[in-house]
Amino acid sequence: MEQQDHSAMEHQQVFKKLSVNGEPHSVGFSVHHSLLEVLREQMQLTGTKHGCELGECGTCTVLIDGQPVLSCLELAVECEGREITTVEGMMIGNDLHPLQEAFADLGAAQCGYCTPGILMTAKALLEENPAPTRDEVVSALAGNLCRCTGYHKILEGIDWAAAKMRGDEDFRPPREAIYGDPLPGEEPSDA
Amino acid sequence: MRPFKVIRPTNEKEAMEQVSKGNASYLAAGTDLLNRIKEHVASPDSVVDLKSLPGMNTIEVTDQGIWIGALVRLSAVSSHTDVLSRFPAVCETIIHAATPQIRNMATVGGNLCQKPRCWYLRHEGYSCVKNGGTGCWARDGENEFHGIFDNQICSATQPSNLAPVLVAHEAVIEIASKDGVRELTADQFFIGPSSDPLREVSLEEGEFVRRVMLPESTRAGSWAYEEAREKQSFDWAQASVTLLLDRGGRKGDHRVVLGAVSPAPLRRSDIEKKIDGSDDEIAEASGIAGAGATPLSENGYKIPMLKGLIGKAIRSARSRKEG
Ligand SMILES: Cc1cc2nc3c(=O)[nH]c(=O)nc-3n(C[C@H](O)[C@H](O)[C@H](O)COP(=O)(O)OP(=O)(O)OC[C@H]3O[C@@H](n4cnc5c(N)ncnc54)[C@H](O)[C@@H]3O)c2cc1C
Ligand code: SF4
Ligand code: FES
Ligand code: FES
Repeated sequence: MEQQDHSAMEHQQVFKKLSVNGEPHSVGFSVHHSLLEVLREQMQLTGTKHGCELGECGTCTVLIDGQPVLSCLELAVECEGREITTVEGMMIGNDLHPLQEAFADLGAAQCGYCTPGILMTAKALLEENPAPTRDEVVSALAGNLCRCTGYHKILEGIDWAAAKMRGDEDFRPPREAIYGDPLPGEEPSDA
Repeated sequence: MRPFKVIRPTNEKEAMEQVSKGNASYLAAGTDLLNRIKEHVASPDSVVDLKSLPGMNTIEVTDQGIWIGALVRLSAVSSHTDVLSRFPAVCETIIHAATPQIRNMATVGGNLCQKPRCWYLRHEGYSCVKNGGTGCWARDGENEFHGIFDNQICSATQPSNLAPVLVAHEAVIEIASKDGVRELTADQFFIGPSSDPLREVSLEEGEFVRRVMLPESTRAGSWAYEEAREKQSFDWAQASVTLLLDRGGRKGDHRVVLGAVSPAPLRRSDIEKKIDGSDDEIAEASGIAGAGATPLSENGYKIPMLKGLIGKAIRSARSRKEG
């Protein structure tokens, strides 16, 4: 088996302009570094999380030119001239994005580790399809794993945000998504 | 990740020269290559970025067929209106591959040239015939997801979802080589371990895939793609069946190609012959699914799985035709 000798290899360093959340940044990094590493370590944008680093969990999802991609498998050096959006760029002025608001109000995050990736994937979906069916939401999220929530509140949160974004202020998530299912024979209480 | 240099060639000749120098690999989107570098099973000193080459990122529709550049992303193929209307089976196999994010990144060329997913091959602690050593760990080891056909030398299966449907359509693979451009049919392009255990595709040193052509003459009258996998959200196929009926308007010109059960996509002309429109075609065709199989200790389940998938594919292609 070959010994991994990291120190012996000379690092090829580059200085690049990356456009992140609408702002140009000049960043220096090694060419073998992923966009995830550069966002977190060079740019201190630690909202984007690293999980598996192998393409399997989706928590590192960012948008490049509006499309969800995995920052753990994208080399930062390949991102010059493309528009990168991370969770830090989601707020609209001083207001939370409707997805962030719906996730917070509904408790669609538990440990929160999957949340930035899911928000980015959902943002891209709603920009393309303002009224997705449940199946379309589930397919869009197929590459984002959540180990805590069981997905239910995430899906309801996306429906709610989609409604808000369509201007439908009367939409309410189903009661059981907010309070949990009532026990058999029991009336749900507001308490 | 182990450090490497990134080389951006400006023309094909330079790309071939650079990749032949020392320990270098071609890079497309990197979803497979970077994965292997992180897992310490690939360790190139430099990567030659094919994305810097012009002209490989387009889809061109002609009377002969549709040319798809090697750098076109999987999601761009599956959402292309002409590919969807003329070669819907290709789009269907793509939406079963990987995750939405990976489909937005992964290129067609990279999908065809990705390395197999055998867990021994993808673990730095194991050496076998496929990485220049001897023997096969899966034979007497953990082989639940391995192949059941042509598995004597190596039972790792061809991982590409596109591979079987390209064989079924007799797609042309256009290859850039030192002596100019050469073409292979998909069936010649994907190879098993008896040709060369170190390769899964017949690319010689320095060569790369430029584009792929889906021939108009193999457009299907009807079609189906069925796959089984452990997880519904996303997963590698455990077995798949690609079925094209009455290709090019020729009655009885069918193709059945099995995926994820052998080192190269497996065309089954014996099964094709049983698909004759008779009342018992499903029983006849699925009945011989396991002919020639040599299952290992943990993957015998793939035979009944194939039987089910073949039946499902025939039913679905027949109803698509009528519907
Ligand atoms: C979680 C996960 C799930 C997946 N599930 C599936 C699945 O279900 N089905 C499926 O089909 N795939 C699946 N994949 C694999 C994925 O489709 C491939 O990683 C991807 O298609 C590779 O394309 P790329 O452009 O990223 O290639 P790269 O990683 O850049 O390259 C892959 C290999 O091909 C070589 N190469 C690239 N382009 C060319 C070319 N034009 N000519 C010659 N050689 C070339 C490279 O040198 C490298 O060795 C999955 C991957 C992950 C991480
Ligand atoms: S199946 Fe192939 S790749 Fe896997 S251990 Fe055996 S020889 Fe190696
Ligand atoms: S960290 Fe990128 S997919 Fe898991
Ligand atoms: S909230 Fe913990 S992983 Fe999703």
